[in-house]
Amino acid sequence: MNHSIGIGFRKDFAEELLNTNDLKPAFIELAPENWIGMGGYWKKELDKAAEKFPITCHGLSLSIGSPDEVDVNFVKQVKQFLKHYNVKIYSEHLSYSKCDNAHLYDLLPIPFREDAVKHIVQRIKQVQDILEMPLVLENVSYYTSVAAQMKEEEFISAIVNESGCNMLLDVNNVYVNAFNHNYNAKEFIKKLPLHKVAYVHIAGHEQVSDTLIIDTHGQAVIDPVFELFDYASDLIKPVPVLLERDFNIPELSELQNEINRLDAIVSKKWQTNYAIA
Amino acid sequence: MLLFQKNGKPIMQLLKEDTHTQQARLADYCRTGNTPNLIDIKQDNLYQYRRLVFNIASDTLETAYPITYSFLPQNVWEKLVYDYFAEHKCQTTQVWRMPLEFYDYCKEKNLQETLGVPFLNDLLYFEWLELDVHTMEDIAYPKTKEIGSWLTDVIVLNPEHKLIQLSYPVHTTAPTENLDEKKGNYFLLIYREKQTGNVQFIDLSMLYVFIIENIINGITLNIILEEANTLLQINDIDLLTQHALTFLEDLKQREFVLGFLS
Repeated sequence: MNHSIGIGFRKDFAEELLNTNDLKPAFIELAPENWIGMGGYWKKELDKAAEKFPITCHGLSLSIGSPDEVDVNFVKQVKQFLKHYNVKIYSEHLSYSKCDNAHLYDLLPIPFREDAVKHIVQRIKQVQDILEMPLVLENVSYYTSVAAQMKEEEFISAIVNESGCNMLLDVNNVYVNAFNHNYNAKEFIKKLPLHKVAYVHIAGHEQVSDTLIIDTHGQAVIDPVFELFDYASDLIKPVPVLLERDFNIPELSELQNEINRLDAIVSKKWQTNYAIA
Repeated sequence: MLLFQKNGKPIMQLLKEDTHTQQARLADYCRTGNTPNLIDIKQDNLYQYRRLVFNIASDTLETAYPITYSFLPQNVWEKLVYDYFAEHKCQTTQVWRMPLEFYDYCKEKNLQETLGVPFLNDLLYFEWLELDVHTMEDIAYPKTKEIGSWLTDVIVLNPEHKLIQLSYPVHTTAPTENLDEKKGNYFLLIYREKQTGNVQFIDLSMLYVFIIENIINGITLNIILEEANTLLQINDIDLLTQHALTFLEDLKQREFVLGFLS
């Protein structure tokens, strides 16, 4: 039985997920921004989903790396949502999506700099104080660094260690970044604060040129990413693992095959399955 | 150590101005496409950020406003979206609510006059309301009884609705069918069906708007009709009552009238 592998809850396949057994995730993940304040048909579907599966949340608009002030009202809304749906894991991206009071709705790379570390650590603590739970922050994919003064792994480690937050290890993002920025993915993973990994993401991507991969979440997970996950799972404690598939949704049986493959990897090495709720 | 004031503002500004500038330039580039002055970047890949950010905004607006998108020439739509995203600072944390800001932007800039599309505001509003009513937060339904007097009991309506006035019949006429020549007063009831969550539209006359507005205010039909008879100078209360009852029975069939207050 799969106790550890979840799936991103998408409206594209919500009805099928809720009414069939073609896909059997251990939990589902959703972005609170897409559901907060929503009523009607989709609220009913969300409530049905919450009855059938434990929920984790993966936010989009916190913009923890923003130069702006933390949107306290938004964080309070998220807190209420997490409480309502008994959500134990709230993860976000180590990036920024809002700057100078304008939301951009996508993830921009933060300059890898010491002052940015201090600034973000302060913001994480503020958010965690409001939420009364640790944030779980994801290493994001990026296509160019900007004004970097330190290495990516140093930047991530400093933020995680100084803030007390947990880490979401996105294995696909490591693969994508290693390809795009020409570094060794396994060596990179070893330098991360692996003792703080509380959640794992895995996804597909699209190679658009000889030198560039775009993190699309629109394709099947490729073998090298499964292999990298296998490698990483030896280095971390048992945690929930999330298969992300946002576009080009295939037959649910194909997603189930990917879940089964992930489950097979962890079940032989993680003696205790991680129960999400 | 105290890091924040009570209003949530940080006591110490830890981010250096130079770092903030770099972040702001990248964000500005994503919104405007204007070439930024950034340090140590992969120039070839920078465009991906502009493309990805702009596509999200563009796709969200196309999905929210499919009729407007199809009606406007492609280059006009693209310039509209481009200008909006460059000039307007999106405020909502929820991207699916962002199209409302687009509607407000178009209205504020009076773009219907600039573009020579006099019904643009109405069309955008109509399209937005379909989305808005479909997703609006649930409103508790009042307790009702099935049997009652249409004339003397308080009639209970589906609370999940909007009653709006338009200057062009964008809800009944395609933009291509000389819509700009049909300026007038149009009233529209938009509501969400309880069971299915589907959004329904009903074209209303001014009389029926008057009736619905007064029912919402808890006034019984007999009083509403007496007032309508006087105000609208109909001078035939029996005929008026007959029309009103037919109208309300129809609304009951359509699950907009829920019953009578218990």
